[in-house]
Amino acid sequence: MRQKFKLCIVVWGVLLFSQFAAHAQSAQTSAGQDSKGQTFDVKIDNFSFSPPTITIAAGTTVKWTNRDDIPHTVVNDDQKFQSKTLDTDESYTYTFTKPGTYPYFCSIHPKMTGKVVVQ
Amino acid sequence: MAESDRRTLALAGAKDVIEYDHNHDGIDRRGFLKCMAWAGAGAYCVIQGGVMKSFALGGLGGKDEQELKGELSFVQISDSHMGFSKPANPDVVATLQAAIDKINALPATPEFLLHTGDISHLSKANEFDMVDQLLKSAKVKDAFFVPGEHDVLNDDGKQYRERYGKGTQGNGWYSFDKNGVHFIGLVNVMNLKAGGLGSLGNEQLEWMEDDVKHLSKSTPIIVFAHIPLWSVYPEWGWGTEDSAQALGYLKKFGSVTVLNGHIHQTMQKVEGNVTFHTAMSTAFPQPKPGAAPSPGPMKVPDNELRTVLGITDVNFVQGKHALAVTDQTLA
Repeated sequence: MRQKFKLCIVVWGVLLFSQFAAHAQSAQTSAGQDSKGQTFDVKIDNFSFSPPTITIAAGTTVKWTNRDDIPHTVVNDDQKFQSKTLDTDESYTYTFTKPGTYPYFCSIHPKMTGKVVVQ
Repeated sequence: MAESDRRTLALAGAKDVIEYDHNHDGIDRRGFLKCMAWAGAGAYCVIQGGVMKSFALGGLGGKDEQELKGELSFVQISDSHMGFSKPANPDVVATLQAAIDKINALPATPEFLLHTGDISHLSKANEFDMVDQLLKSAKVKDAFFVPGEHDVLNDDGKQYRERYGKGTQGNGWYSFDKNGVHFIGLVNVMNLKAGGLGSLGNEQLEWMEDDVKHLSKSTPIIVFAHIPLWSVYPEWGWGTEDSAQALGYLKKFGSVTVLNGHIHQTMQKVEGNVTFHTAMSTAFPQPKPGAAPSPGPMKVPDNELRTVLGITDVNFVQGKHALAVTDQTLA
């Protein structure tokens, strides 16, 4: 009886641990802290994206942070990516996996434009 | 000028009467522009039968109020940005309340209020709720709205239309009539294209063309939309891509007034039969075109803030071309 009990505990423990590990793994991936690529920072301030054009390697994550005193958004012209509304100090990240040119703009102030070139 | 008019002017202590009709169409353009320049200092301009009359706001007597009230009066406010809280104005609730107090202190109770958009700052429910709550204390009989780009965030304007879009079409456009004046509310803050300006879109333009088709050319028209319908400063997005088409449908009308917001300062232009006017914000000012690197909120000394925020009082008097547009600051 005791043997069976011990076995149950062990099995249960292994199951628990594997669940835990799986969650930890997925949490890590969605936070973008993947060891594959780096993060490139773009600042949003004074109604402009800075730098307005960036060139990155495929697999890089771009992080836009709004330092302006007005909300902005980041929207790809071809709708491949789109942030929610970013108030001051809020950020949006997107990982570019495919090479290409990705023009984007602020949907609230469409004169604000930028470009990500992925090689 | 009729003898009764002279008497009225004398009673009201009018400063000046201007009569220029070079185009022989009853529009006193030079006088109107001169009067508009006074408007910033709190003058009250009324055109009656093609003749411009102006009165200092302080010198309005009791029995002249009917004369001055005209046949339709309403008030425009704009850009309340409820939810904004930065150095340019940490208390937009207080300044909106001050604007409402100004409305309630007008010599003649306006029949309704027109809000030309950016009601909220981040399209949040509690921001809209707060504005609705504050407006309850305004002594107006009705309120009409058009959205600003800050009112349609994250949901393509769904919440805006649920709250303010009753009886509207498409993204929230509509028209209505008051005392023989035809009002058209347009939405030019949706589906904006990269690098572009405000946009009305084909569906709305087709609706508008149809809406005004059967109106007689003597019907006074008032168009209101958030982003200016003329090219104030394209570099900052202060204009609308396809407004020329919309204005084309209004060519036949003798009196067209366009009321906008968005730029947080007053600006006016008269072009043919069309008078364009933008309102101050009740939340924060923005720089004059090109006077700053970007069109963001402009910080002024605290004791000056209320002198750059305000409301617009509009009075219409039946006649050939009759509209009086007066801006009042909060302090």
